[in-house]
Order: sequence, then structure tokens, then C-alpha cells
Amino acid sequence: MNNELLQVKNLSVQYKTDLETVYAVNDVSFSICEGETLGLVGETGAGKTTTALGIMGLLPKRTAHITGGSISYKGRELTELSKKELLGVRGKQISMIFQDPMTALNPVLTVGDQIGETLRLHNTENLSGEAIEKKVDEMLEMVGIPPERKKEYPYQFSGGMRQRVVIAIALICDPSLLIADEPTTALDVTIQAQILSMICDLQRKYGTAVIMITHDMGVVAETCDKVAIMYAGQIVEYGELKDIFTGDDHHPYTIGLFGSIPSLTKKYRRLTPIEGLMPDPTTLPAGCCFAERCSHCQEICRREKPQPVVSGSHMIRCHAADAHLAAASDFFEKDLSRG
Amino acid sequence: MSDVILKVSHLKKYFRTGAGLLHAVDDVSFSVPGGSTIGVVGESGCGKSTLGRTVLRLNEPTDGSVLFEGQELIGASKKTLAKIRPQMQMIFQDPYASLNGRMTVQQLIAEPLIVNRVCRNRREIDQKVSEIMEVVGLSERLTYAYPHELDGGRRQRIGVARALVLDPKFIVCDEPVSALDVSIQAQILNLLMDLQEERNLTYMFITHDLSVVRHISSRIMVMYLGKCVEEADADRLFENPAHPYTQALLAAIPIPSVSSQHVHRTLLQGEVTSPVNPAPGCRFAQRCKYACEACRKEDIPLKEIEPGHFCACVREG
Repeated sequence: MNNELLQVKNLSVQYKTDLETVYAVNDVSFSICEGETLGLVGETGAGKTTTALGIMGLLPKRTAHITGGSISYKGRELTELSKKELLGVRGKQISMIFQDPMTALNPVLTVGDQIGETLRLHNTENLSGEAIEKKVDEMLEMVGIPPERKKEYPYQFSGGMRQRVVIAIALICDPSLLIADEPTTALDVTIQAQILSMICDLQRKYGTAVIMITHDMGVVAETCDKVAIMYAGQIVEYGELKDIFTGDDHHPYTIGLFGSIPSLTKKYRRLTPIEGLMPDPTTLPAGCCFAERCSHCQEICRREKPQPVVSGSHMIRCHAADAHLAAASDFFEKDLSRG
Repeated sequence: MSDVILKVSHLKKYFRTGAGLLHAVDDVSFSVPGGSTIGVVGESGCGKSTLGRTVLRLNEPTDGSVLFEGQELIGASKKTLAKIRPQMQMIFQDPYASLNGRMTVQQLIAEPLIVNRVCRNRREIDQKVSEIMEVVGLSERLTYAYPHELDGGRRQRIGVARALVLDPKFIVCDEPVSALDVSIQAQILNLLMDLQEERNLTYMFITHDLSVVRHISSRIMVMYLGKCVEEADADRLFENPAHPYTQALLAAIPIPSVSSQHVHRTLLQGEVTSPVNPAPGCRFAQRCKYACEACRKEDIPLKEIEPGHFCACVREG
């Protein structure tokens, strides 16, 4: 087993204003080992980006509050770090690729300056200006941009090229964890394929762990080792890639997600979408968040929050899975005690 | 096969820019039989939206002809256009930007009725609006809501209702689901397909999402830099893509299943070149691994490589 790099335990984040409280992330736990890729999947408002910003310590100060849980990175508790200590971690050890390359770059600085900025801020090895420039050239080359173009401004680059610049910024300090927040959503499919294969190559080369935030199950299938499916601020299903894509038991939301994707190989008349909408994050229901849209909803689903049911590496948060899997986990425990 | 409802021939739309002529749509021809769906796919900037708008004459075309039920639209007078327009409508891409935020759902859906003077009095309008709201699945309590109170899926339903309220025969859908989450996207796609069945609608469906286009279309047209590079029946195109660009496009889609993982793909290198004053020859030649001398000499015409399957590539035929 690899070393555990980041462990998020029972994390809860709320956005509070005078009028209302948004329960954005509720009791989320996952972990990621060195060199691994974790997919964080969900629809708009599922709390994916809030989780990422929580790890980065970038949540808006005035409204967002981490109300519980812990984020430990290499044994250090990130939620308790001072601002100064956090600066040493952010950008250096954990860095992030933002969703929209059109807005993530500063339009009045050349791309060379922006890539070098991270290294200048985290210059622990006391590199000279010249050495930094050299490293910038190397980075540009690595992401497939001719180094001569470092004197140009973001507007002179296309969307795909800008995303390459953002990736160069994120990777120049050789981080051990990279958070990619929908890195290819704003791009065309041929460019998306280029960027994804580049992230995977770089990851293999440097052993970086990646948290891949996306809503595209295709991207997950091609890049991830582990998958967490989020719904209304909770992880409803979590497991290895094979658990999610081929396992026997699934959360009804996962089944709905797969049913909503039009197939490229099979032709059928109708899709089987999930009816209805995600619950309002200001007033979450007392029971299971998915109960309103679930076709297997029972009485207990509306009354009680389902607890995670674990079988091996696979976790499902559903009352129905409870009954089904209990037998399996019983067996598993017995097996252990016997062994 | 039913009669051809729309016939587009040699349609061109050039935009004048500081750098020269931008060939947004360059000599595109196709025809659509009534009750079917033609899908138009391509990457951003390939001219698919311009094509949709030009077909409806929302843009004045540079050259070419558009026959709608045998009637020529290009060069038609305002009066004739006003008569035909209710028959052809459009659903826009972004339900967050295409609705006036100061109008209620009721007003938004009634607007096309008022503009086209379809109804005689207020009662008739209200009647029609509530009918159409039920058809697209908007509950009655939302009649006086404003767009900002609604989520993306419901807003797009308003967009569909606005297009549908005049009882058109032909609808141009310009990326109607790309701004929506997958579960909502599936709801809207089902709605569009049900409506097509009930009302025998004809769609021109513009999208960059290949799995969506396969799901909804009977025929598919692939565009690259203003040119149609391949046109075929949906199944044929996906099973047997002929043009190198179509092949690259299909290979680039991430497939949501584990069995296909780690299959080595040939990735397309480089990016789309500029559509301003394009050099003669195949527009794709710069990124094409098969490109040869002949590709750069002159424009490659569409050729029928098998019955109903057209492709613009020198390697074919």
C-alpha cells in the first residue's frame, strides 16, 4: 500500500449569511495516497468545488465556515494552520488547476511572469532570477508551448493553450497533490483529450496525486483510480474505479447518473433520467437527501439519514443498500474473526 | 421517406473583419426530410451556430439558397418572411442569457404570440400559454415567476415553450442542453424527442456533444472551419467514419466504462486554424496525418462514397 497523502475526515462546510445558511458540504470523508487519482463527481451545487477550496484554504473568509471535521495532509492538520504556514503549503505542495482558463489568468501579466510567480514566492532553494527563467522555459516546453511565447499575454493564446499555461503554473513547484477543478469542461473534445493525456503523463512522471473534479463519467473512467460520487454535499458512493463502474450494488443516484448519459454504442429511444431536482442546500431534508427523486424510496428514507454501508473498498450511503450489503459485511467480519 | 421540408444549397456566410474575410460558413448544402432530425457537430468556431442562424435568416447570408417547403427565403421580402417565420423557430443555447429577466414566465411565452398577432384577445393568449406550459412540463404555479427564480432545466423549458407556442414545423436547436447538468440534460432531450413524435417536428440540432447528437439525430453533418466534411446517417457515421477529422473526433470522446480504459488512442495534434482568409485546399490538412500534396492544392468537394454517405477527402473515391 502506498503512503497516505491527504485524509479528509467528516468535513462539513457552511456558507452563512444574515438571511440563510447553505449546507454546502456535509460529513465528507475520503483519502488519497501518493500518485493516486481520485475522481470527485457530481452535478452543479453538489459541493465539489467547496471541498476543493476547503483543502486549499481558499474558502471565502466572511461567509464560509468549516463547521466540523479535519483535513490532514502528511499528518499536518490543514484547518489549524496559521495564514503564514498555509502559504508555505499552498502552491508549493498542494496546487490547483482552475476550471475556466479564460478567467484564471491575469490579463496584464505575461504568461512567463505568471508561471514564474509561483516559484518566486516559494523560492526555498534560493534560485537566481536566471535559474527561475530557465525553469519557466522548461515548464512551457513540458506542457507543449514554445518557450519563445513566454513574453506574450493570455489574450494571445487559445483556450487550450491557456489551460496549458494554468497547468504549468500549478506544476512548477513540483507539488505532491494537484487539485484539478473541471480542467477540461471549457474545452473542445479534441483539446480535452490532449490536456487529459498530458495531465496523466505528467502525473506518471512526477508521481503527483491528483484530485480530479468533474461531472463527466467518461473523464473519470479514463483517468481515475478511485471515485467519490457527491450529491447535495455528501459522498453517496465511494470506491475503486471497478466498484463504481462494474460493481453489483450502487446508490440509486449513481444509477440515475449513468442512465442520463446517451450511449455512443447502443441506440435506444429514451434516456432514463432522474426526475426532479437536487434539494435546496439551505433546507436539506431530515432523511436521505436523494429520497425525493428516488424510485426505491421507503418510509425510513424520509425519516433517517442513511449511514455509510461499507463492503471492502466500496461504500454506499443508502438504506436499501444497508439491507442488501449487511449480509455481505457480516460475512466479511466473520471471515476476519475466523482468519 | 417524407418530403424534404428544408433544402439548403451552397450557403455561404462571410464576416468582414479587420484581418480579412472570415469564412464562417463556406458553401454548405444539405436537405432535411420532414419529421427527421439533422445533427450538426463540430468544435467551437467551426461555424455551426452561424449556419443555424443563417438558415433562419437571422444573419444575412453572403450567397446561396434556402428553400423552406419550396419557398425561397434568401432575398424574400419582409412581408413574406413574416409569414414563414412562425413555421420555423429557434431554441437558444444559454437559458441564463436568452430570457429577459424582467418578464414573467407568462409574458415570456406569450411574446411570440403577440409579436406574430396570432391570437385575437387576452383570453386566447392565456389559454394557449397555459396549454403549452403543460406540454413542456412547467407547473401552473410558475406562471408569474421570473426566470431568476428558476433553475437551468426549467428555464430551458421556457425556451422550448417559446419556440413551440407558434406551432412551428421546423426548429433550430442551438446547443439546447450544453449549459445543463447531465440529469437535467436527459430530461430536456426526452422532452424534445417526445414533442417531435407528437407533433411531427423537424429539428436541426446543433451541438458539440457527440453522444447527444448520436442519440437524437437521424442524419449527422460534421463541420470543420465552415465546411461540411462528412454527412451520413447517424449509425453509419459512428460505425464507419470516413473523414480523418470525424475519426479523430470520435476517438477523442472519453467513454464512461472501464472496459475501454487504457486503449491507446491516436490524439489529434495542434488546434483549429484561423477561418480568416483560409488557404485553398482541405481545411483540415494542417492537422491531418494523411495530408499530401493534393490536399493543399484545391478545395475538396463532398463525394458520395456509398449510398447516402458523403465525405470530403481525397483519400475517398
